[in-house]
Amino acid sequence: MNCLHTMIKLRVFLMVFLTATAITSCTDDFSEINSDPNSLTQIGPAELPFLFTTAQDVVNWGGQVEQNLFADQYAQYVANNASYFPTDQYEIEMDWARTVWENHFVGALPQLQSIMEKTEPTSGEYALALLWTVYSAHRVTDYWGPMPYFSAGIPGKSVPYDSQDKIYDDFFKKLDEAVTVLKGMSGKNVFGNYDIIYGGNVDKWVKFANTFRLRLAVRISAIDPSRAKTEAEAAYTSGVFEVSPDDDALALNSIQDVNSISQMSEWNEFRMSATMESVLKGMNDPRLPVYWLPAKNTGTFEGLRNGLNSVQLAEPQNSVKANSHIGPRWTAPISGGVSDYLTTPSNVMCTAEAYFLRAEGALLGWNMGGTIKELYEAGITHSMHQWGITDQSVIDAYLASTATPIPPDDYLHSPALSDVPVLFNTSVQSIQLEQIALQKWIALFPDGMEAWADYRRRPTIGLYPVANSNNPDIPDPNKQYIRRLPFLTTEYQSNKEATEEAVNLLKIKEDKISTPLWWDTH
Amino acid sequence: MKKNRNQSASGGWCTLRVLTFKKTLRMLRLVLFCFFLSLANVMAIDSYSQMTRLSLKVENDRLENVLRTIENKTEYFFLYNRDLVNVEQKVGIDAQDRTIKEILDNLFKGTDISYDITNRQIVLSSKQVSNYLATQQRTITGTVTDEQGNGLPGVSIAIKGKSLGTITDPAGKIRISATSQDILVFSFIGFKTKEMSVGSSEVMNVVLEAEVQQLDELVVTALGISRQSKALPYNTQTIESTELTAIRDPNNVMNSLQGKVANSLITQGSGGVGDDARIVLRGNSSISGNNNALVVVDGVPNSRGVNINPEDIETLTVLNGSAAAALYGSSAGNGVLVITTKKGSKEKASVSVNSGMTFNNPFSLPKFQNQYGQGMNGNLDATNGNNWGAEMNGQEYTNMQGEKRKYSPQPDNVKDFFDRAILLNNTVSIQAGGEKAQGYLSYTNTKNDGIVPGNSLLSHNVNLRLTTTITPKFSTDAKITYYTGSVRGILRAGEGNTSVLDIYQIPRNMSLSDVKKFETPDAFGVPKPAPFPSTLASRYQNPYWIVNYDRTDDKRSQIFGFVSVKYEFTKWLSLKARANIDKYSVVSERRTNQGTVDWATRPGGYYSISHSNSLSQWYDVTLDGSNDLGESFKLDYHVGGIFQDGQYEQTSVTANGLNVANKFSINFATTPVPSSSSTHVQTQSLFGLANLSYKGMLYFDASLRNDWDSRLPSPHAYQYYSLGGSAILSEILEMPASISFFKLSGSYAEVGNGGQFGLLENTFSYSAGTANGYISRSQTYSIPGLKPEIVKSKEFGVEIKFLRNRLSLNGTYYHSNSMNQLLTIAMPVATGFSRQYINAGNIQNKGVEIILSGQPIAKKDFNWTVDYNVAFNKNKVIRLSEGLDVVYQGSFADWGGRPQVAVGGSFGDIVATKWARNDKGQFLVTDQGLPIASGKVGQQPSLIGNFNPDATMGLTNTIQYKDLSLRILMDGRVGGVAISGTEMNLSYSGLTESTLPYREGGWVLGGLNTSGQPVNTAISSQQFWQTVSGKRHGTGEFYAYNATNFRVREISIGYSLPVPNYFFIKSAEISLVARNLFWLYRGKSKLDIPGLKKRTMWFDPDITYGTGNTFKGIEYGMPSTRSIGVNLHLNF
Repeated sequence: MNCLHTMIKLRVFLMVFLTATAITSCTDDFSEINSDPNSLTQIGPAELPFLFTTAQDVVNWGGQVEQNLFADQYAQYVANNASYFPTDQYEIEMDWARTVWENHFVGALPQLQSIMEKTEPTSGEYALALLWTVYSAHRVTDYWGPMPYFSAGIPGKSVPYDSQDKIYDDFFKKLDEAVTVLKGMSGKNVFGNYDIIYGGNVDKWVKFANTFRLRLAVRISAIDPSRAKTEAEAAYTSGVFEVSPDDDALALNSIQDVNSISQMSEWNEFRMSATMESVLKGMNDPRLPVYWLPAKNTGTFEGLRNGLNSVQLAEPQNSVKANSHIGPRWTAPISGGVSDYLTTPSNVMCTAEAYFLRAEGALLGWNMGGTIKELYEAGITHSMHQWGITDQSVIDAYLASTATPIPPDDYLHSPALSDVPVLFNTSVQSIQLEQIALQKWIALFPDGMEAWADYRRRPTIGLYPVANSNNPDIPDPNKQYIRRLPFLTTEYQSNKEATEEAVNLLKIKEDKISTPLWWDTH
Repeated sequence: MKKNRNQSASGGWCTLRVLTFKKTLRMLRLVLFCFFLSLANVMAIDSYSQMTRLSLKVENDRLENVLRTIENKTEYFFLYNRDLVNVEQKVGIDAQDRTIKEILDNLFKGTDISYDITNRQIVLSSKQVSNYLATQQRTITGTVTDEQGNGLPGVSIAIKGKSLGTITDPAGKIRISATSQDILVFSFIGFKTKEMSVGSSEVMNVVLEAEVQQLDELVVTALGISRQSKALPYNTQTIESTELTAIRDPNNVMNSLQGKVANSLITQGSGGVGDDARIVLRGNSSISGNNNALVVVDGVPNSRGVNINPEDIETLTVLNGSAAAALYGSSAGNGVLVITTKKGSKEKASVSVNSGMTFNNPFSLPKFQNQYGQGMNGNLDATNGNNWGAEMNGQEYTNMQGEKRKYSPQPDNVKDFFDRAILLNNTVSIQAGGEKAQGYLSYTNTKNDGIVPGNSLLSHNVNLRLTTTITPKFSTDAKITYYTGSVRGILRAGEGNTSVLDIYQIPRNMSLSDVKKFETPDAFGVPKPAPFPSTLASRYQNPYWIVNYDRTDDKRSQIFGFVSVKYEFTKWLSLKARANIDKYSVVSERRTNQGTVDWATRPGGYYSISHSNSLSQWYDVTLDGSNDLGESFKLDYHVGGIFQDGQYEQTSVTANGLNVANKFSINFATTPVPSSSSTHVQTQSLFGLANLSYKGMLYFDASLRNDWDSRLPSPHAYQYYSLGGSAILSEILEMPASISFFKLSGSYAEVGNGGQFGLLENTFSYSAGTANGYISRSQTYSIPGLKPEIVKSKEFGVEIKFLRNRLSLNGTYYHSNSMNQLLTIAMPVATGFSRQYINAGNIQNKGVEIILSGQPIAKKDFNWTVDYNVAFNKNKVIRLSEGLDVVYQGSFADWGGRPQVAVGGSFGDIVATKWARNDKGQFLVTDQGLPIASGKVGQQPSLIGNFNPDATMGLTNTIQYKDLSLRILMDGRVGGVAISGTEMNLSYSGLTESTLPYREGGWVLGGLNTSGQPVNTAISSQQFWQTVSGKRHGTGEFYAYNATNFRVREISIGYSLPVPNYFFIKSAEISLVARNLFWLYRGKSKLDIPGLKKRTMWFDPDITYGTGNTFKGIEYGMPSTRSIGVNLHLNF
C-alpha cells in the first residue's frame, strides 16, 4: 500500500474521531431536547381561563367513588345494590374517599392558586378563584372536619391540618372579599365561556357566593348562633338566588366529561332508597318520576333500605330489576332515559335551597325577608320549577297536601320515615323545622353531599338506621349513624405527623366515623 | 469470532511458508486442516472438488512451483515425501476452468506420481511405491501424547472411511494395521481431533492438542469487543444459538432462556402472542424504573430486541453484573444480553432452512367446581351469573335466553373455549462469500395463533448482512433488518371485561354452545349483546362478544441496521466507526362495538387509533490498540466516543361514540379526541478501556466513561468506572493433575443512569373537554436537581475445570448497591402535588451463582452432559431518604396486594390485607362467625411475603446417542409469594373448587370476636368467600400462595437424518420439542383456613398481570401455555 494513501486515510479517520469528540462536548441544546413540546412550563393570561375550567370541572358532582358510594348513601338518597360495595354498611374504602381529597388538593387548588398568583386581588379572575377555592374546600371539610387549609398548596414534607372552626371563619372572610370585588364589576364578564357554570356572568356569581355564604351560615347556626346570624343576614342582604331555573347553578358537561351520575347509571349498582320511596310515594310528590324510574319488574317505584348485606341483596325483592333506577335525565334510552343523558348538566346549587335556608333562618329569628311559610312554600315551588314542573295547580295541590310519608313495604318492612305532611304547619315550630328539613332534603337531590351535611347538622327527619354496620366504630346502627369519614390511609402514610396531630383537632379526639364535626352539635 | 482466529492463524502460516520449512509447513497444514474439520461439522467439503474450478497455464516449470501455484489459487494443499516423489521435475499444463481432478490427471500424465484427494488434502505418492504399499497392510505403532508428553490412554483411533479402529493402551501406545493410503483419525474428549496420513510411516508419534476452544473461548463483551473468556474479570454466560433455535418459544426468544441463564427471572406478560417478556438478572434494584436486562444487538443497545429472529443469532452472551456492562452506561446496571447475529462466511456457500410447527394449549386454568350452578343462597336463578345456586341434578330450567335446558354441569366449558393454537415459523438463510466480500441473507415468517380465539401474530423478517475486506487493512460490515408484524386481538390485561376473565366466569351449568349465542340484531340489524348472566353486569359480559367485538390490533414495523468500517493502521492499532439506526413504528387500533360493557360507553361504539414512532440513533468511534510491552506484558486498549439520540413520539385519536354505529374510522367519530406525547433523550459519551495481561496468566482491567446526558441539569455530566483482575492459577501454580483450569477473578464497577425525560420543571398539560378544554398542572413535583442513578457493584468469581474439562464449576459472588435512585414518592396531597421525584435510596442485592457442567459419559457414540445452575439472591433496602421509610407501588384497590419498598425490607415485598388476628395470633371473627379483615379493626395492610424467589435453578441433561439426541430441562424456584387476583374474583361468585365444601352451611371457623369472646356460629361457603373476596377488592391473604415450583420446562428429541454424500441436502435434523410439560412440585396457599385443606397453586407464577414493577407478584387472568412442536432443520 502506498504510504501517502495511508497517511491520507489516517488523517481522515483522525478528523472523524476529533469531530465526534467535538460533538460530544456540545450540550447547548440539551435543555431544549429535554423539554416536552406537548406540555407547558410557563402559563400566562391566555392560559388562566383554562385553569378555571379545570378547577370547576374537577369538582365531580355525583361521582361514584366521591359521592355516590358515600354521601349519597349516607343522605339516603340512594341505596347500594351491588353486593361488592361495602360503604353502605359503613365500611370505608379509603381509595374511593381519597378521590374527594385529591380533587380538591391536586385537581382544583393548584389551578386556582396559579390564577391568584398571576392576577391582582382586585380582579374578577382573582375573586372567582377565591370563591371557588372556598366552594371546593367546603366539600372536603364537611367530609372529614379538620383538613390542611391555611398551608395547603405549599410543597414540603408535610402540611398541617387546621381545625374546622378556623376554616369556616376563613371561608366567610374569603367570600366577603370575593363578593366585594365582584359587586364592583356588576354587568361585566369574567372568563367568558370558560366558566362552565354561568358563562362568566358576574352578577350570577354574586348571587351564588351569597347563597353559598348563607348555606355556610346556617351550617354553623347551632355551634355559633351569633356569627351565623350575622353572616346569614349579610348574605341575604347582598342578594341570594331568587328564581329557578335562572339562578340555579348547573355545570355544563361534554361528551368527554360526562355527567357523573349518567356515567354510572347503567352500571346498575345503586337504586332508589327506601327512604325516598317512603317520602316521595307517601306525599305523591310530582318529582318522583323525575328523580326515579319505575322498577322493571313491577312498573312501580320501589326502594331499598340502606346497608343491606350480600345475602340480603341476593333476595329477589332487593334485585336490580325490582327497584327504581335513577330518573330519565341521567339514564340511557335503552333503560328508559333520554338520548343526551350523558351531557345532562350537573346540579351544583339550586334556588330552592336559598329559600329553605332563609326559611330556617326566619325560624331562628333572623331577618330573611319573608315569613317562614312564604319561604317554605317558595322553596317547594322553585324546586318544582327546577325539575320542570310548572303547572301551578299541581304545585298548589302539593302545597296543600296533607299526605305524609308511608311505610315503603321493603324487604325489612320499614316504618314510614316521618308523619309530617307537605301542608305547612302554622303553629308548632318543631314540626315546621321538620317540614323544612324534609322538603329541603327532597329539593337538594341529587346533591347528597349537601344533604348529608344538612342532616348531620340537624337530624330532624330521622333517616333509617342502616341495616348492617361492618364498622367497629358503630357496632349498633340503631343507636348511631355516620358523622364523618376517617382520615385517609394515604394521609397517615405521606403526611403522617400532621394527620396524627389532626386527630386532636376533632371534637372527640378519635379518628372515627362516629365522631361529630365541629358544627355538628348532636 | 472464531473466524477471526482462523484468519490470524492463516496469516501466520503465510509468513512461515516463505521460509519453506517444509516439514513444519506440512505439520501446520495438518493441524490447520484438522482444525477446519473440527469447526465444520457438516461442511460441504466433498462438493469442493466438484465445484472448484481453476485455470492454470505453466510451461516447463518445476513441479513444486506448480503445486504452490495451485495451493495459492485454491484451498488444496499437497502432502508428499520428497524422497519418494520427484518434485524437481519440470512439467507443463494449459487448462481453462477445469476441476482439480482434470488438472492433476493432466499434470501427472507420464510421471510416476499418483495422487489421492481427501477433502482439501492431496497426497502425492510414487505409483510404484504406492502400488506396492497399497497392497501391504502394515502394523503402525507409536504413542499418543498430550502437549506435555504424557501418554494418553483410551484415545480412539479410527481408519477414515473404514469401520476399523482401536484405542490406545493405558500408556498411550498405538498398535493398528493400516495401508499407506489410510488416514488415521485420533480423537479424544478434551482434545482436538487429529487426522494423519499413514504414508510410508511405520511409527507414528502423535501429539494431541488440548481442546482449547473452551478455555480460549472468545466472548463478545461491551460495545462488541471480543475478548478471551479467561481474561475477563467478571462472569459471563454464553447460550448456544442452537439452544435458542432447537427449542424455541414461539412467542419470544427471551422465553427460551428460561432455566438456562443462571440467576434470571423471566416472566411473560398476559397479553397473549406478541406480548413482552421480561428478564431480570440478579434481582430487582430499581424501584420505579426498569429492572429488565438491556438487550444489545451487534454492539448497540436495542430497546426492542424481541424482534430478532432466533435463527439469525450467532451467539447470545449474558453479562450479569454491572462490571461487564459498565461500558454501556445508562440502563446497563441491570445486566446485558449481548446478541451477535450471523455473518456470511468466506469458506463456503450454504443454504439452510428451518421450519417449526408448534401446538399450544393452556397449561394452568383455574380449578372449577362442577356441582352447583347459577343462583344465590342455594336457589337456582338463571339470570344470575354467580354459582351459589342449587345443586345441579339435571333438573329442567329456562335459561336467560329463554330456552329450556337441563341444569347439569358443563365441566369443560372453560377449557373448550381456548383454542389449540398452531404456531408456524419458517426461516431460509443463505450465506456465501469469497475473500473480499461475504453475505448473509435470511427471511423468516412467523404465524402464531394465541390460545384465545382471535389472537394471532403474523410477521416477516428480512435480514441482510454484508461484510467486505476492501484491502487487508480496510474492512466494512453492514446489516439491515426489516421486520413487519401484525398482531390481532391483543388481550387486555387484568379483569376489566377481558375475554379470559369473562370465560372463567360463565356459569358452571352453561354449555359453551349457549355461550356462543352472544349477539342478537337490534331493529337496525346492529348487533347487541344477547342476554347473558354476568357476575357483574357493569364490567363483565359474554367472552365471545369481547373476542368478536372488542378488538385491539397492532401493526408493527421496524427497520434497523448499521454500517461499520474498520481501518487497521498497523497490526496493533485500528480504528472502528459505526452508525446504527433503529426505527420502530406501531399503529394500534381499537375497535369496540356499541354495547361493549365498561368500554363503549357512548352510542355507536368506541374507536381509537394511535401511531407511535421511535427513532434511535447511535454513532460511535473507537480506537483499538494492542501492544506487547516487553516479553511478558501485553496491553490492549480501546478509547472512543458515543453519540446516542433517542426520540419517541405518539399521536392518537380516540372516539368514544361513533355517529354511524360500529364504523371504525375517525371519520365517523362523534367527538374525536386527539393527543400526542413525545420524549427525546440525547447522551454523548467518551470512554476508555484498558486490559493489561501478563504471560496469559494475570489480567488487569480498567474502564472509565464520562456521559453528558440531556435529562440532567447543567452541566449534564457524570463519570463512572470499573476495575478488575483475573488470575489463571492453573498457569501460575502447579495444580493437581485432575485440575485442568483454575481461574480467580474480581471486579468493581459503577454504572450511571441519567434518569428520565423532562423532569426538571413543573409542567402544565392540556386536555380536551367541556368548554374549551382544560389546562392543569402536573400532579408530579419536578426535580430540578436531578442526579444520575449509580449502581456500584463488586463481584468475585472462580472457574475450575477438572478431568480435562469434563467437569467444570463456575461460581460467582456479587454484591451491588443501587444508589440515588430516581423514585416517585407520594407527597402529602395537600401540597398540591401527589407525587414527587427524588433521588434516594440504597438497594442492595447480593448473591451467589453457581454453574456446574459435567460429562459423565463421553464416548464416541454416546455422550451425556449435565448442566446445572443455581443462584441465590438476597435483596435489602438499606436506605430510602430522610424521613422516608416506605415507598408504595400500585394501589390496593383492585388486586388484593401491593408491592412496597420499605427500609429494612426487600424489593418485592408485598403487603396485603389479612385475616385480623389478636396479639396471640388468634383469628378474629364477627359475631356471625365470619373472618374480619385486618383493615376493619384498624390494622394497616402488612407484609405477606416477597414475590422474588430465594433461589432459582435449572438442570439440563443432554444425551447424545449416535444421531439421536435428547435434552431435558427441569427448572424451578424456591420461595416467594404470588397472589391470585383471578381466584379472588372467581371465588366470590362460587366458581372455584375451594367454594364446594360447606355449601349447605355448618362451617365453624372458630376464632374470637373483637371483645375476645369465642364465636362458634356456623357459616356457609357463600358467606365465607363473599366476605373474604369482596370480588375485586378482597383480602389478599386468602389468595396468597407460596410460589415455589419445579417443572419439566423442556424436552427435546433430535435426530440427524442420515444423508448420502451425493445428495443435495447436506444435513437434516428433525426435533420434537415440548415446553412447560408438567409440574414436579407446586407451592400451597399461605393461609391455613380452619376446615379447609391448603390449596395447591393452580396458576403459573411466570405469567404476571403486567411486566412492569407495579403488578409483579399478582396473577390476574391469562393462563400460561404448554407447547409441543416439531422442528426441521436442513442444510444445503
